[in-house]
Amino acid sequence: MQQLSEQGKAAEKEWEPRIVALVCNWCTYAGADMAGTTRRIYAPNVRLVRLLCTGRVDPLFIIKTFEHGADGVVVSGCHPGDCHYVQGNLLSRRRLSLFRALMDFLGLDNRRLHFAWVSASEGIKWSKIVDQVTAAVREAGPLTHWGKPATTHSSGSLLFPDPAGDPRPAPSPEENESIAAHLKKSVASLLSEGEVSVVIGYSAGSLPGQMVPAFVTNPEEASLLAWNERCANNLTVYLPQAVKRRDKGKVGVVVKSCDAKAVVGLLRENQIKRDEFLLLGVPCAGLWENGRLAPKCFACLEEVSPLADWTIAPDGAKKGVVTSGKERPVAVDPREDEIAFLESLSAEERWDYWQRQFSRCLRCYACQAVCTLCYCATCIWERHRPQWIPTTIDGKGNTAWNVTRAMHLAGRCVGCDECARVCPADIRLDLLNRRLSQEIDKRFHYRSDVDPEAAPPLTTFRPDDPDEFL
Amino acid sequence: MEMKGWRLAEKEWREWLEALARAGKRIIAPVKEDGIVLFRPVASAAEISLADYGNSRWSSKEFLFPRTEPLFSYRFQGDEVNLEEASSEGTEQVLFGLRPCDAVGVVRLDDIFLGEEEDPLYAQRRRLTTVVSLACDKSQAECFCTAVGGSPAGVEGSDLQLVRLGEAWLLRALTQKGEALVRGAAAKWSPASDKDRKEAQAQRLAVEQGMRRNPLLVESAQLLERSFNHPAWESVGQRCLSCGICAYVCPSCSCFDMNDEGNAWCGVRCRSWDSCTFAQFTRHASGHNPRPTQASRYRQRVLHKFAYFPLQHQERSMCVGCGRCVKLCPVGMDIYGAVERIVSMKVQNV
Repeated sequence: MQQLSEQGKAAEKEWEPRIVALVCNWCTYAGADMAGTTRRIYAPNVRLVRLLCTGRVDPLFIIKTFEHGADGVVVSGCHPGDCHYVQGNLLSRRRLSLFRALMDFLGLDNRRLHFAWVSASEGIKWSKIVDQVTAAVREAGPLTHWGKPATTHSSGSLLFPDPAGDPRPAPSPEENESIAAHLKKSVASLLSEGEVSVVIGYSAGSLPGQMVPAFVTNPEEASLLAWNERCANNLTVYLPQAVKRRDKGKVGVVVKSCDAKAVVGLLRENQIKRDEFLLLGVPCAGLWENGRLAPKCFACLEEVSPLADWTIAPDGAKKGVVTSGKERPVAVDPREDEIAFLESLSAEERWDYWQRQFSRCLRCYACQAVCTLCYCATCIWERHRPQWIPTTIDGKGNTAWNVTRAMHLAGRCVGCDECARVCPADIRLDLLNRRLSQEIDKRFHYRSDVDPEAAPPLTTFRPDDPDEFL
Repeated sequence: MEMKGWRLAEKEWREWLEALARAGKRIIAPVKEDGIVLFRPVASAAEISLADYGNSRWSSKEFLFPRTEPLFSYRFQGDEVNLEEASSEGTEQVLFGLRPCDAVGVVRLDDIFLGEEEDPLYAQRRRLTTVVSLACDKSQAECFCTAVGGSPAGVEGSDLQLVRLGEAWLLRALTQKGEALVRGAAAKWSPASDKDRKEAQAQRLAVEQGMRRNPLLVESAQLLERSFNHPAWESVGQRCLSCGICAYVCPSCSCFDMNDEGNAWCGVRCRSWDSCTFAQFTRHASGHNPRPTQASRYRQRVLHKFAYFPLQHQERSMCVGCGRCVKLCPVGMDIYGAVERIVSMKVQNV
C-alpha cells in the first residue's frame, strides 16, 4: 500500500484526472466505439468498464473505483425507454440518483460523480460528455482523501444546534406498572391456551434501569416481563428466526408502534406470514434515555401500532388496536434540524465530519445485527469472493461498510433507530437513514413504514422519475 | 520495596506529559470526541479530558494490538514475487490514564502475544510502551474488577499509577520503566507523605465496597469447563445477536483474522480484529460450522474468558471486569451473570 501511495505521490506532480466509466454494452459502449471510429478527439482520461446494463451497477462498484484511486466516475447507459433489458436503466436511475444524494450528504464533491444517457449512435455526445466530466473532475482536483478526512484539523467535535424541549412528559410509573401487570396476565393466558408458543418481551437487565429482551415459553415465566419507557430494543429483530424455529402456535412479540413498522417490511419482503405471529401492542408515550425523550419519539403520533393484535392498555388487555384518545403533544423531529445544519456546511466540512465518524467504526456489525430488515443469511460483509467490503478496519473499509449498509436499507428502513442506539462508536447512522428517507419521500413519494403491499422504491420505477442524467 | 511516590498538582503532571511529548514520545490519553471518551494520541496535554471520566468507551488495546496492521507486502515482478516484511514504527509511547482494569488487560495481551511464541510486531510495540494507569475514585454500575481478582487501584500492568486525591494527585512509580519515565521531572516534585498513601488506600477501600458483584468461586474455571454440555447455555445465549461489540470493546480479546488487501500485482497482507461471536469466525470452507448457533458462540466466549484461559494461565481470569461488554451489549448480555448462573447450577448438581 505504501508503494502504491509513493507511486501516487510521483504522479501528483503532473496530475491528470483518472476517471472510470461504467458503461452498458448495448448503448454507451457502442457509442464510445462510434466516437473512436469517427476519429473524435476527446480527453484521454476515461477508462471504460463494460457491463451488460447500467442496471447492474451496484453503488459498491462506484465505491470500489474510488477506493482504488479513481478521481471521478461516470455511469452511462441507454436512454430511458431504450434499455436492452426494458427497465434496467430506469431502476439504475433511481438507485444511482439516491446514491449521489447520499454521497453529497457525506461530503463527496458532486463534480466527481456523473451519470449520462448515451446511445450507440451518439459518438459525438459521448466525446462531449467525457470532456465535460474530465473538466469537472479536473476542477475538483485529485481525490486523495477517500477514507480519510480532507483536512488535518478534523479532530474534536461538531456542535449541533440545541434540540427543542421534550414535547411531552415521561409516563408515570403507575401507568407502566399497570400495563406490565396486564401484559403478564395476557402472556400467561396466551401461552397456556397454546395460541403462542413463545412471547418475546422485555425484562429487567442486570444493570440498574437496564431493560433487555426476554423469551418467555411457559406461563410461569410471564411474571418476568416488564414494561417502561426504557424498553428500547426492537424485538421484531428476533421474529424471522423465531417463526422458523417454533413447532406449534404463533410467536408473540411485544411491540411499540415504531418497532411494528419493521414488521411491515418483513411482510412486504415475504419473510414472515401474517398468521405466524401475534403483535402485543403496548401504548407507548415515548422512549426515554438519560432523562430525555428519544429523538425518534418527538414526532411520533402512534400511541399503539395499527398492526397490533392486542392492545395491552393500562386498564386491561383488549383485542385489536385501542388508543386512549388522549391528545398527544408532538414536535418536529430534532434530526431535521441536524440534517439541515450538516447540509449548511461546506462539502469538505461534511466529509471531515463523516470520516471522523466512520474512523471510529470498529466493524462490530451491531448495526446490522440489531436491524430487523437486515435478515439476509449472509451479509455482504461476510462475503469474501469477491471481497466487496474490505475486512481491514480502516477508513476505506469503514466507508465502504457504512455507505453500503445505508444504501441496502434505503427505502426499507423504518427509522426505529436501533442501529444508532447500539453503535458503540456513536456513529450517527440515524442521520444517514433519515437523509435517505427524506430523499426517497421527495423523489418517489414513498414511505417504507406504511403499506405492506407497496413495492419498495428501489425495486420499481416510474417513466417520469426525476432525471439528473447528462 | 515501597516504590517512590510524589504529591502533584494537576499542572505538574500535565507539564510532565508536555515535556515527554516534546521529547518525541507519543502520548496516548483519554480525549472527548463527539461526546464520547476515547484513547487518542494527543498533540498537547491540554487535550486530555479527565472531567467526569468513568472509563473510555473502548479500551486502549488498539495502540498495542491495532485494529488492522500490515504483516507484509507483496509485489509480483515477472515470475518473481517480492515480499517485504512490515515493521512497527519505533516510536516510544505512553499509555496515560488507563483504568487499572485496562492495565490488567495489557498483561493479558502479553500472555497471548508474548507467551510461548513471541509476536514480533506486538513485542516491539510493547517494549516501547510505558503504562501510566489512573486509579478509580468511583465505580460505575457495570464495573466488576474485584470479582475477577482486580482492584480499582490495582497495579498489575502499570509502570506508574496516578491517584486523584481531591485537588491533589498522587503519582507512584511501580517499575523501573516507570521510574525512568519520571527521571528528571521528579526532581522538582515533592515526595508523597504517608498521609497521602493512607488517603489513597482509604479511597480504594471505599470504591471496592461500592462494587456490587461478589468474587467468583475459586473452582469456577473447573466447573465451567465441565459445563460444556449443560442445557442452560441455550437459554443463556438465546438473545445474543452475534455482533462483535463485546470482543471489540474488550481490553483482553485478542482474536484476529488475516486478509489480503490488494490485487493480482501488489498488495498487503493484514491482520484485523475478529470476534468469536461472528458466525463466520469458525465457518469452514466446506460450509460446516462447528459453532452453528449464537448460543454455542456465546458459550465459547464465556468459557475462553473464564475457563480455558485461567486453566492455562495459573487461574488468572482473562476477563478483567471493566464491564464494557455488559454495558454496551445491544441486548444486555451479561458475561458475569452467565458465569454466575452456570456455576451455581453446577454447584447444586455436584
